[in-house]
Amino acid sequence: MQNNLQHSDLKKFLFITIAATGLVLLIANLFGKDTASIISLILYIPVTVSLVVVSIILSKRFGFKGDHGKAWILFLIFAILWFIAERISLYYNLTLGEELFPSEADAFWLAGYPFLFVFTIFYIKPMKRMISKKIIFVALAISITVLTSTLYITYDQNTGTNLLEFSIAIAYPIADAIILVPAIIGMMLFLGGRVNFLWSLMCIAIISEIIADTGYLFAVLHDTYYQGHAVDVLFIWYYIIFTFGVYHHITIFKDHRKDPYKNIEELR
Amino acid sequence: MSDATDMEIKKALVTISVEEALLEIGRPVLDAVAHSLYVNYTCFIPDCLAHPEYLRQVLQELYGNGCANIIKSIHKHLDEYAGMQQIEEFLIAINPITIHSYQPR
Repeated sequence: MQNNLQHSDLKKFLFITIAATGLVLLIANLFGKDTASIISLILYIPVTVSLVVVSIILSKRFGFKGDHGKAWILFLIFAILWFIAERISLYYNLTLGEELFPSEADAFWLAGYPFLFVFTIFYIKPMKRMISKKIIFVALAISITVLTSTLYITYDQNTGTNLLEFSIAIAYPIADAIILVPAIIGMMLFLGGRVNFLWSLMCIAIISEIIADTGYLFAVLHDTYYQGHAVDVLFIWYYIIFTFGVYHHITIFKDHRKDPYKNIEELR
Repeated sequence: MSDATDMEIKKALVTISVEEALLEIGRPVLDAVAHSLYVNYTCFIPDCLAHPEYLRQVLQELYGNGCANIIKSIHKHLDEYAGMQQIEEFLIAINPITIHSYQPR
């Protein structure tokens, strides 16, 4: 009962946070690009810090042992790599006054994907025998559909753009689509379980990231991207959604070692 | 060997098997299952020998459909003791397919 209450409170808080960040960035854009840029740069700091903090807490709780222990270490590495990428992006924005693309930040963002992928593999590994061919087929079908749509939409837009820029920009939706496969498998596998909240959020976050990356690719190709652009809100939501998912896991796998067994006498 | 000792051995076997299966995933998973058993059913892991449905319910609540694989892992650990009556009953009762049809003696 208490857990259900916490779960519904968490959902409400997630919805409020998402709505509030969206509204803040929308209002900032009404005041112009400079304001939007400053506000988005400020917003990126707490969301990335939060993801690293919750990842550290959960990694520490699970330790190195067990498949999920290894999984959460990998997730922490992913969170740290993306945190570094965001700080590099912040540095370029503050020193150059604009988003540099491609930059060293892209190396960190792209390096984070294999860790996120292996995290999902390690997490679902103890339940691997329950993964049917049907589940894999559905996950692959959804992922390929999303990826094909993204590639189809963006292919025609590559008119006279630097090949390196286009390759790096297109690598993001491809990497997202790859991550989406185990995320969908996890969501179907843990259906009805409390851990499913993380996997459902992960799927939502990845879809949000695919839309954001495609939007970013569009904006870069048309040279209309600026820090604080509408697509930035989707990137910010990605961190928020992931943070809530990991936090929910912290509440499930609480450290109960200090909790006394209150009715121990009646059990003996 | 007295009945009480025999039962305690079987409880210990079930406890070790459940703990090993859950520790393969992670220590906090074992803690969460043990805590949930206590909070919801005022039951410890050794008591699951008599109440396998509690363990199955807790695993189901935690991992949903994925819990069947954990149950398979418990089966694997206990297979060589399946000849013992209570262990056999435990294995039948915890099985996702037979859970609804099983009636404790």
